[in-house]
Amino acid sequence: MPNAYYTCHLVPLGLLSTLGFTPKWLGARLPHQTTPRRDATTVHPTTCPYVTRLVAAAEALLEERPPDDVLVIAGGCDAMRRMGDLLAAYHPERTFVLAVPRASTEHDVRAFAAELVRLEQWLKERAVQTADAAATPTASATTGAAALGAPDYPSAPEPGGVFVVGGPMSDDSLLELLSTLGAKVAGLESCTFPDRWQPLATAGLDALPSDLSALAGQVLQLAICPRFSTTLRKAHLARRLEQTKASCVIYARQSFCDPGAYDALLVAELAAERGLPFLELEVGFPLEASGPLRTRVEAFLEAQLLDEDILGGDFLDDDLLGGDELLAGDLLTSQREPGHLPEPGPARSE
Amino acid sequence: MPGMAELTGDSLSASLVRAAFLAQTRWKALHTRTARAYLQYHALAASLELFKAGSVVPWVSYLFPTEILTSHGLTPMIPEVGSATLTGSDLREAVENAAARMSLARDVCSYHRTALAAVENGMLPAPTMCLGTTPLCLGKECLLEMLATRYGVPFREIRVPLPPDEGEAPPAVVAEVAEQIRELHEDIGRWTGRRPDLRRAVLLSNRAAKAWGDLMAERLAGRLELNGRKTFAIVFLGQLLWGTEAGAKDFERLLTERGRSDLVPPAFDGRRPKRLLWLHTVPHHDHAFFELMEKQGAYVVFEEMGQMHQELIDPDDPWPGLARRLTDHTLWGTSARRARLNIALAKKLRADGAIHFNHWGCRHGLGSLPVVRAAFIEAGIPFLAIDGDALARGGPNQEKALQQLESFLELL
Repeated sequence: MPNAYYTCHLVPLGLLSTLGFTPKWLGARLPHQTTPRRDATTVHPTTCPYVTRLVAAAEALLEERPPDDVLVIAGGCDAMRRMGDLLAAYHPERTFVLAVPRASTEHDVRAFAAELVRLEQWLKERAVQTADAAATPTASATTGAAALGAPDYPSAPEPGGVFVVGGPMSDDSLLELLSTLGAKVAGLESCTFPDRWQPLATAGLDALPSDLSALAGQVLQLAICPRFSTTLRKAHLARRLEQTKASCVIYARQSFCDPGAYDALLVAELAAERGLPFLELEVGFPLEASGPLRTRVEAFLEAQLLDEDILGGDFLDDDLLGGDELLAGDLLTSQREPGHLPEPGPARSE
Repeated sequence: MPGMAELTGDSLSASLVRAAFLAQTRWKALHTRTARAYLQYHALAASLELFKAGSVVPWVSYLFPTEILTSHGLTPMIPEVGSATLTGSDLREAVENAAARMSLARDVCSYHRTALAAVENGMLPAPTMCLGTTPLCLGKECLLEMLATRYGVPFREIRVPLPPDEGEAPPAVVAEVAEQIRELHEDIGRWTGRRPDLRRAVLLSNRAAKAWGDLMAERLAGRLELNGRKTFAIVFLGQLLWGTEAGAKDFERLLTERGRSDLVPPAFDGRRPKRLLWLHTVPHHDHAFFELMEKQGAYVVFEEMGQMHQELIDPDDPWPGLARRLTDHTLWGTSARRARLNIALAKKLRADGAIHFNHWGCRHGLGSLPVVRAAFIEAGIPFLAIDGDALARGGPNQEKALQQLESFLELL
């Protein structure tokens, strides 16, 4: 089957699959930074790293892959919409830009259903040109993280830990970092993680051919992401924080992302209302959970060290401490302030 | 000039200072009798009313159909206009400091970031309602809805589908947007308890639109040349006054030579000037770009953002006309549409080149740049994109941008 590379999990993957395309997340197919590019498709440096890298990925794939492979771009924000415009200018027959509403009212569902009809028609026109058009789609083809190239939780979320919010994430490295530092993860709000894409992955498999309104409604109910209505997003996040019994919140915000910037303010407010410590990190795409980012997360967690709900009993056994008997907080302090060794204190009972 | 802080207070002394300042601004308008001076006076007078206790303050997006507000006797609070005004006043330092203290990311649009800092620190009036439109950008919708959530006031958004790349938006789309505007007009009346008079607002808006449309037609036909940098201010401030009597009279002043005497292009001592098309917003407070142009024998002959409200609206059925201004706005739609319209504009004006101002944090403007640039290059029209911030004065980016502009002008 030809591939349909998509940018965002607001695209109903089941619809792509049902129409004879293999959905593949573009974010998992980034070319090397040094891959040569056309000047004409170079986006402005103040574009978010996600869009910047996806433009490069799309351009490379469209050059390399057979002409049956297509791009489906969810124009959820200005940058992504303009990415669609740019690629459509150079690959008009292989690029589809899907307009996505910000809310889920009756009007929005109707508008999005009309967009899905347009997408369906566009894919059908392309599917008949391929030899594999009659291939039978299955739910399993679209629901596995590996098949999509989307990241997954490194370990199951646990109530009472760190709640992480972010835009699209290339991998689970931030969650791995938290785990390495001995913190539990209570939950994650990111469009590229299973909580979001799993319910959406099968959307559309049973909706064709008659009722795309139901599919549109389903997607808009599930996809309450940073670009969505603030009111609905706030209620959704408040619910998630309660459900996961979060002890603190980390926001991994991509630079030059408007919805992320306003969403981070909203999440900071929600955290403050609940007395939860909050940390905002500026991240890139791909996410590099090392260097300065690791230092900031360490410092943030240090402030939470006394909270048993966050730190598991195995923290002191972690390589980070190298088996030292010192308090983790003291060690972290001494690492940042050379020459100022901590006073010996009583061993902490775990 | 009194301080903005004194102007925006709610005390008796603030009222007296306000009255004195307005009298001074009015005197200037009476003295020059130009449309621009009168627009400044009327826009300021209307906006200062928003600071009075008990005022209804509708925060709206830049392209919002303000006639449905003036129908209810309301003046819009437009974040972009508010930010540009504050950063041009003696509150600049205060609002910049407030913005620097704010936890909102520094990479968002500076118009919106400044507006948020201003309202959170009492330099702009708090909203009574927040009303958006999907055109032109998502950032201001995020701002407006966040403000509505913070202040516990209603938020509404007029959702406008993208127009086709060629031709007009289909009638069904226009009808759907029209219905949203009609419903919102009713909601505003219900929220405020005010009786609407949309017919009067539309008739006044039409007077202004007729004057503006005639002026633009003359400019496009090459029969009238104005300084596009200065005419930008007419539309920018005019957004506060569509549908008002003052707005109608001020726009009509543009039809007389006296009324537009402060919009004439610079004199070039008999040399043929380079005539440039300006795309996107302008640096409001940084005159270096335009001084350099003048020094190099160039000026802005036309501004992309001036192309609005040139069509009349049927007062008996205003909804489709108001909707059409949104659905078919020149800056809405795909990058390909924007490129096509601007190439046609440049050719019609026989412009010597085009300058795109890359306003800091504007995703929709910057995002369309690669397609627009490629189209201009293909059409053989010299094109320059310069980075900047519409609210900045000087700053680290200015020198580089000035060098780019100087090289560009020399090449022309």
